[in-house]
Amino acid sequence: MAAGSETKHNFLEMTEIRKSFGDMTVLHDVSLSVSQGEVICIIGPSGCGKSTFLRTANWLTPADGGEVRLAGELVGGVPDARSVSTQTKELNALRARVGMVFQNFNVWPHLSVLENVVCPQMVVAKRRRGEAEKQALAALAEVGLDDKKSEWPDNLSGGQKQRLAIARVLAMDPVLVLMDEPTSALDPELVSGVLNVLKRLAQKGMTMIIVTHELGFASSVADRVVFMEEGRIVEEGAPDVILQTPKTERLKLFLEKLNITAFKPNSDSAGHPTMDSGS
Amino acid sequence: MKFDISYTFDALPRLFEGSLVTLTLALLGFAFSVVLATIVTVARTASKSRILAYSVAIYISFIRGTPLLVQIFLVFYVLPIVGINIGPMSAGILALTLNSAAFVIEILRGGLASVPQGQFEAARSLGLSGFALWVKVVLPQTFMASIPPLVNEFTQVLKATALLSTITVVELMRVSQQIYSNNYHPVEVLTGAFVMYFLMCFAVSRSASLLESKFEVKRA
Ligand SMILES: Nc1ncnc2c1ncn2[C@@H]1O[C@H](COP(=O)(O)OP(=O)(O)OP(=O)(O)O)[C@@H](O)[C@H]1O
Ligand SMILES: [Mg+2]
Repeated sequence: MAAGSETKHNFLEMTEIRKSFGDMTVLHDVSLSVSQGEVICIIGPSGCGKSTFLRTANWLTPADGGEVRLAGELVGGVPDARSVSTQTKELNALRARVGMVFQNFNVWPHLSVLENVVCPQMVVAKRRRGEAEKQALAALAEVGLDDKKSEWPDNLSGGQKQRLAIARVLAMDPVLVLMDEPTSALDPELVSGVLNVLKRLAQKGMTMIIVTHELGFASSVADRVVFMEEGRIVEEGAPDVILQTPKTERLKLFLEKLNITAFKPNSDSAGHPTMDSGS
Repeated sequence: MKFDISYTFDALPRLFEGSLVTLTLALLGFAFSVVLATIVTVARTASKSRILAYSVAIYISFIRGTPLLVQIFLVFYVLPIVGINIGPMSAGILALTLNSAAFVIEILRGGLASVPQGQFEAARSLGLSGFALWVKVVLPQTFMASIPPLVNEFTQVLKATALLSTITVVELMRVSQQIYSNNYHPVEVLTGAFVMYFLMCFAVSRSASLLESKFEVKRA
């Protein structure tokens, strides 16, 4: 990529993203700027537009207004009435470098664990099988699934499926990973396994935007927490500032509702693994 | 007149040959119809074209709303008029294809609907699109979900091949007619054909369900 090195700041630049469904405006000119290596956690009440906002970052949901740039390159934008096509080769190439992890895993049930990770590498990154398998095994090892490579996804637990989805993304050597509530669909005892993988990724310097309700995780891993409500970013800042000393009444209410009045950073009050268990 | 099974046995070698023709007709007609229906399904879904969607809907209602025998005759008699002389066998296969495609389109629509939206999204977010998205992710899942009704449709096509005897295709039914118009023992000969048809259909659905349960075991 051309503008790679000098754009350390503004690695991902989302500018005045606007989105409506019918006559309901879901995002009101939301802007977010992410530096390389930064981990951002987005929190906010249900229906406030977190998923929609995240999905505009790789133009999976094309916005109605605003633009997204990754390392200076236009991912998607609405410069005029002719909106950018969602099917261009350039967009696919960009998407291949922006991983996305979904709440419902969306692993491919017709392919084995290994093939799930191999397939996009061969089809999109044009790697040969040998190389793709090598990368796949490395990615599977990273998420602790190397012993499951010949398994079918249907035989995996939710936590394993999600780790497979993460491995599928990692094998593409992403420069940015978007995650939409990666642990929300998991049984409580499976959450920590996935969060530990995410912590390791964060420690390795992966740039990530994670929509999550896991405040303990956000507080220990995020560089910045973004609080959204009703299609706007209401507050953002360092996790302890945001979670301990909320400025706005709305954020206070939200945090109270999440029942973390007794919450202290690193206290592991919500039953999540402490930071050390991740390493 | 007494049922004399020896007429059935005498007919068996020729009935067997006729069965092979029947199988060939069914396999070709069905295979082409699956290809055609797949193309139509992908085109209809990917293009989101209204005109295409309406044309397909109209086509399906015509096919379903008219007797297959009439469709076969139409194809058989219309083609030479417009200058296409492909013979009864090809005309018959074409008629079966055009008929079966309507049903396979409906089957694939159901299979496609069972593929969760998230499967498309995961693929698109990884950079797959167009051809690769369909071939690698969507169609395999569509077909897997459609196996039972597709097998059923194949047996429908197989049975429908008997109608092609009316346009002089020498398949199992026509062979039977030829035999009993010589020996005047239609009951014995047709009993043989009856068993042949049944065995073919039975073998197809049995092996399909075996295949499916094997697949289930592998994945479950
Ligand atoms: N494809 C869509 N069509 C119509 N409305 C939609 C669509 N996607 C989202 N919405 C609406 O947009 C609003 C924001 O949805 P979004 O999924 O972004 O919220 P969220 O913050 O992710 O919520 P949650 O925490 O429940 O996941 C909601 O009111 C939702 O109903
Ligand atoms: Mg959401």
